[in-house]
Amino acid sequence: MSEAEYTPLPVSPDTNHSSENEKYHTFVNLALGLAAITGIELVLVYLPFNPIFITTVLVALSIFKFFAVIAWFMHLVYDKLLLTLVFGAGLSIAVGTVIALMCVMSPSHVDFSAIEAF
Amino acid sequence: MSDSATASHDNGHHSLIENNKKLLMWLFLGSDCMFFGTLISTHLIYRKLYPDANNPLEFFDLELTSFSTFILLMSSFLMALAVSAMHKGQIKSFRRNVIGVIFFGLIFLGCQVYEFTHFVHAGLTISTNTFGSTFFVMTGTHGCHVAIGVFWLICMYFYSHTGKMDAHESAVDVEVAGLYWHFVDIVWIVIFTAVYLIEYIPGK
Repeated sequence: MSEAEYTPLPVSPDTNHSSENEKYHTFVNLALGLAAITGIELVLVYLPFNPIFITTVLVALSIFKFFAVIAWFMHLVYDKLLLTLVFGAGLSIAVGTVIALMCVMSPSHVDFSAIEAF
Repeated sequence: MSDSATASHDNGHHSLIENNKKLLMWLFLGSDCMFFGTLISTHLIYRKLYPDANNPLEFFDLELTSFSTFILLMSSFLMALAVSAMHKGQIKSFRRNVIGVIFFGLIFLGCQVYEFTHFVHAGLTISTNTFGSTFFVMTGTHGCHVAIGVFWLICMYFYSHTGKMDAHESAVDVEVAGLYWHFVDIVWIVIFTAVYLIEYIPGK
């Protein structure tokens, strides 16, 4: 084993151990929450509820998981606003593209006879 | 230039590089969002246009996919701990967590290979129909991202044994790798709901 494995690395003066320890508890709680939500999603699809209700809840839970990982695991809440704006711009364009494509390419807007002929 | 002025200039230079590394990664992730957005929407559109192309429930194994999802979520948790350990200068803790992330990443890839093999044996390939094409391209692209992430972390793990890492500069490199890994996780969160779970809703 090299010496480097046993010697603690030099830490920068601005490193705040207490804030890192607080983050640890946040990460543990978040991981447990995400696992629980995944379990709820799994059970939800087998329940005899209204399909629209189930779909809405699934999408809401998925969006919550998505933004929870971005906010805490990806440190966006602790970082500069610029990074949120940069990612938000890309995400907004992506969501806009998905919505536009879904609207334009809905079965009522597609000419299936033209596709068959092609 | 005095020593203190030189040191201040160096610190400012390093800080700028660190900020730029993170900014570039976030820019890349923003663009990757658009990439996966189009892949997922293409799958959903063709699923709606040709609902009879395949019955996905004949192929899907929700228990396996849920297990993969859980594994990826836990790998994200370990990655967050690895980044935190690096910020505190705890290299041994960093290595332990990264090994965990690599292990979970490999399990996820193994599950995906098993799933793809099962699909092919059941008669669904990338050229069978629109469902097969969009499904394999979308999940395959995600799998490639996971494989790249695993390779990146393996390189980082071995680099940590060279003794060249220091908590201040390398923490940003680990954080950037972590951002990539978490992104792979959030893409799967969307795919899991939009592609797998939705199919199981009764009477949809």
